[in-house]
Amino acid sequence: MQFTTTREALLKPLQLVTGVVERRQTLPILSNLLVEVSDSGISLTGTDLEVELVAHVNEGIDVGSSGKATIPARKLFDIWRSLPDGAEVNIKCEGDRAIVRSGRSRFSLATLPAGEFPGVDATAGDVELSITAADLRRLIEQTSFAMAHQDVRYFLNGMLLEISPGFVRTVATDGHRLAMCTLKNLSEGTGMQAILPRKGVLELSKVISEDDGDIALAISKNHICIRHSEYTLTSKLVDGKFPDYEKVIPRDAGEALCADRNELKSGFNRAAILSNEKYRGVRLILSENQLTIQANNPEQEEAEETLVVEYVGPEVEIGFNVGYLQDVLSVLAAETVKISVSDANSSVLIEAAGAEDSVFVVMPMRL
Amino acid sequence: MGHRIHTLSSFVADQIAAGEVVERPASIIKELLENAVDAQASQVSVSLEQGGIKRILVQDNGLGIHHDDLGLALSRHATSKINAAEDLDEIATLGFRGEALASIASVSRLTLTSAFEEEPHAWRVRVRQGEVLEIEPASHTQGTSVEVLDIFYNTPVRRKFLKTERTELNHIEDVFDRLSLAHMGVGLELQQSNKVIRRLEAADNETGFNRRLSVVLGNKFVANSVFLDEARAGIRLYGWVGLPTFSRSHADKQFFYVNGRAVRDKLVAHAIRQAYRDVLFHGRHPVFVLYLELDAGGVDVNVHPTKHEVRFREGRSVHDFIFGILNKVLRDLRPESQEMGHSVEGVFTRTAEGCLLRTAEGSLPGAAEGSLPGAAEGSQGRLGLADVRRPLYSALGVQGASAYTGRVLDSPFGHTVAAGSSQESGTTPPMGYAIAQLHGVYILAQNEEGLVIVDMHAAHERLTYEKMKQQRSDQIRQRLLVPVEVEVTQQEADQVEDAHAFLEGLGLCVDRVAPTELLVREIPALLMNSDVERMLRDVLADLKLYGQSARMLEHQDDMLATLACHTSIRANRILSLEEMNALLREMEQTENSGQCNHGRPTYVTRSIKELDSLFLRGQ
Repeated sequence: MQFTTTREALLKPLQLVTGVVERRQTLPILSNLLVEVSDSGISLTGTDLEVELVAHVNEGIDVGSSGKATIPARKLFDIWRSLPDGAEVNIKCEGDRAIVRSGRSRFSLATLPAGEFPGVDATAGDVELSITAADLRRLIEQTSFAMAHQDVRYFLNGMLLEISPGFVRTVATDGHRLAMCTLKNLSEGTGMQAILPRKGVLELSKVISEDDGDIALAISKNHICIRHSEYTLTSKLVDGKFPDYEKVIPRDAGEALCADRNELKSGFNRAAILSNEKYRGVRLILSENQLTIQANNPEQEEAEETLVVEYVGPEVEIGFNVGYLQDVLSVLAAETVKISVSDANSSVLIEAAGAEDSVFVVMPMRL
Repeated sequence: MGHRIHTLSSFVADQIAAGEVVERPASIIKELLENAVDAQASQVSVSLEQGGIKRILVQDNGLGIHHDDLGLALSRHATSKINAAEDLDEIATLGFRGEALASIASVSRLTLTSAFEEEPHAWRVRVRQGEVLEIEPASHTQGTSVEVLDIFYNTPVRRKFLKTERTELNHIEDVFDRLSLAHMGVGLELQQSNKVIRRLEAADNETGFNRRLSVVLGNKFVANSVFLDEARAGIRLYGWVGLPTFSRSHADKQFFYVNGRAVRDKLVAHAIRQAYRDVLFHGRHPVFVLYLELDAGGVDVNVHPTKHEVRFREGRSVHDFIFGILNKVLRDLRPESQEMGHSVEGVFTRTAEGCLLRTAEGSLPGAAEGSLPGAAEGSQGRLGLADVRRPLYSALGVQGASAYTGRVLDSPFGHTVAAGSSQESGTTPPMGYAIAQLHGVYILAQNEEGLVIVDMHAAHERLTYEKMKQQRSDQIRQRLLVPVEVEVTQQEADQVEDAHAFLEGLGLCVDRVAPTELLVREIPALLMNSDVERMLRDVLADLKLYGQSARMLEHQDDMLATLACHTSIRANRILSLEEMNALLREMEQTENSGQCNHGRPTYVTRSIKELDSLFLRGQ
């Protein structure tokens, strides 16, 4: 196996594929990349047995001889990015060594047999769907922040993908707040649900950029395979039942408050500075056309922000983890946001005033 | 034939009883030693051959047994310790069941020799094969001897279960040590094959107690423990608790006595563990010798034949009492030994009539002098005190100190000494004044006794942690959008309904939605990212066992400890003398400042004397 290329041609693919590889390994071959060279180009594969990412590179590759080998991922990437801009690099496998040459540099890396590299045996997709990169990106961006992290309820450590006749929807929740994004008129297939694991979602969001064109999704019982021109990401699905999200979205949530997103966001950002650093509680006091945000910390320092908003309804005082509100306001793109509040113990619904493809639910905190 | 019911012969019945009481030579020693103590002996000696398997002889100088009672003493349910069933409610002696001798006699060849005080000479009785032989005259000084030969000679199965001589001897030593701490006033001797293994003289003053403690718990225990004595509402707890830094990897040096009886009790163990929870290094066990005295009616010892277990009538309040006192004692361990000197002295006089006879002569002359209020030569008295009093903390071995001597002081402050402040004011605070920072990790300070070395990160971590704990509020809760479902047993679910208010107080809002299903709707905000289900199960298990639970507090403390660790000063942060002194002053004020959050010591002291010895000065 031998090929020559430039630093730039492989830098991004290497970075993305290496991202999948876990830093600490018990199985040595999992810290390696599978490099396959054929006449048409090369492909790089990284896996942690849950998520597998394959990068296909055709351009800028000068194939010497085809073949395949596994090379230590992180070391190869670290060498690669430290090379000078525009450097020409040659990789050649000799016995159990991979020789990387560039200019006057020479590196000899230990390889492991390519035959031992574990593959994800994804069966054919039961449900297939074609979606634009921009749509998929929005579905992920709007919800992925609300995924749980290392929760014992393992099914929360991921994102629900629901494909129904007429719409595609993603939902994520960590038990305290929930984010849901629905894009209409995308599919006509039958209804199905799948939970993508947290890591798969995060890697996927790195791989797709808005101008990538169409992306093919294939979902089987245990796997999801996401394909576009340069990358193929295959991820196991989380085997579990996602909570009934419809039940926790308040449908007739009380009075609505409308406010300018930027004003609200910077108000929260400032108040957050003096909130308790561990649980970050802030108090919202709603009165007619006015919102007061209060925060205080154990040192008895206090912050108070008063905003002019559109609100008619009873006076309400309600506490929140300010981080949850900040997360929502960061992904909401609209200029005006609508917050529906019923009472101090019930969840609130946050959505954009105009476009209604995303809704967010946040549970209050009792301060 | 096999299906007809008949009464067992008394010999078989005795052997069955022996199965409960006599497990190995050590259990025989325990029974016989307890009998000797109950007979008010002041000197007891134990002689063994082959780890007690071949021969045990226990000899005491107690009251003795009357000639007419000798035969009776060997029959089952014969005792002088109680009379009527009501006496069972207030047992003041160690034994009461009246079956020990009979049980032992049924599995060995036993000889009982005793001289009762009013009789001219002693009498002896032998038991062979369960038959009590003729009583014959013998020679013996006042008291009783019990000789036990060939244990389990007639029960080969049991005999097979005996371990090596060495192991059996270890068990006997354990029993012996356990008893010796409960009865300091009794002289005890243990020998094997005419070689003395332990000789403990009767102790009635501090020196004597310390000597006995040193034999049983090692030489360092006395220097690394504090004495406490507290009484409240008819319960008294006294004894020695080891400093958190003087911990062990096994729970093998823990002695707890209820009314003079060694017990292993879950409730007591839990209370002690709770008290040490915040200051002990992970996985370590505290060392303690504690005596609990309460009205004999408040505790039931008639739970198990070997009497290791007891039942308290007011379990909950005993738990809280033990926890409360130990917690306070451990928290109050401050780098200020002057106060300590007084309280120990006070305790000596107060306990004068207790079963641990302590006299005021053990207190320190220097301390008495120094305590004179408004004495003109205050400094004089203090110096005297400083000479006599032993440092509260000296857990670190000498090798720790010698390691420092090899290093060069390259701190920019190495040459500056906080001389002015300490001499002018006339009194040096316990933690002394900072001299320099060593390698960006340790603060060196000098106090009146010598050198104090402080691990600045560990110390600051504890200070931050204690501050955070004070500011903690359980009332801030996060409501859950997706409630956590917990499957439990019906019994547990009932428990949740009963303890709803208690759980609410912990910040847990739990509803029962089905006979065996609970929903957690609200949790303390600090525990947002914890495993709620496991937490609830732990709390319920605690509730069932101890009637209360400190789990939630523990979990919150863990979170705070991590947070404190991250927000404390790290190594290589250069501190000015003012900053270091401020830290030292704060340590003097703060609870538990002797250990960091993980139980490691935050500082060690080296007295001038110890430093002198490193350089062979004055020798």
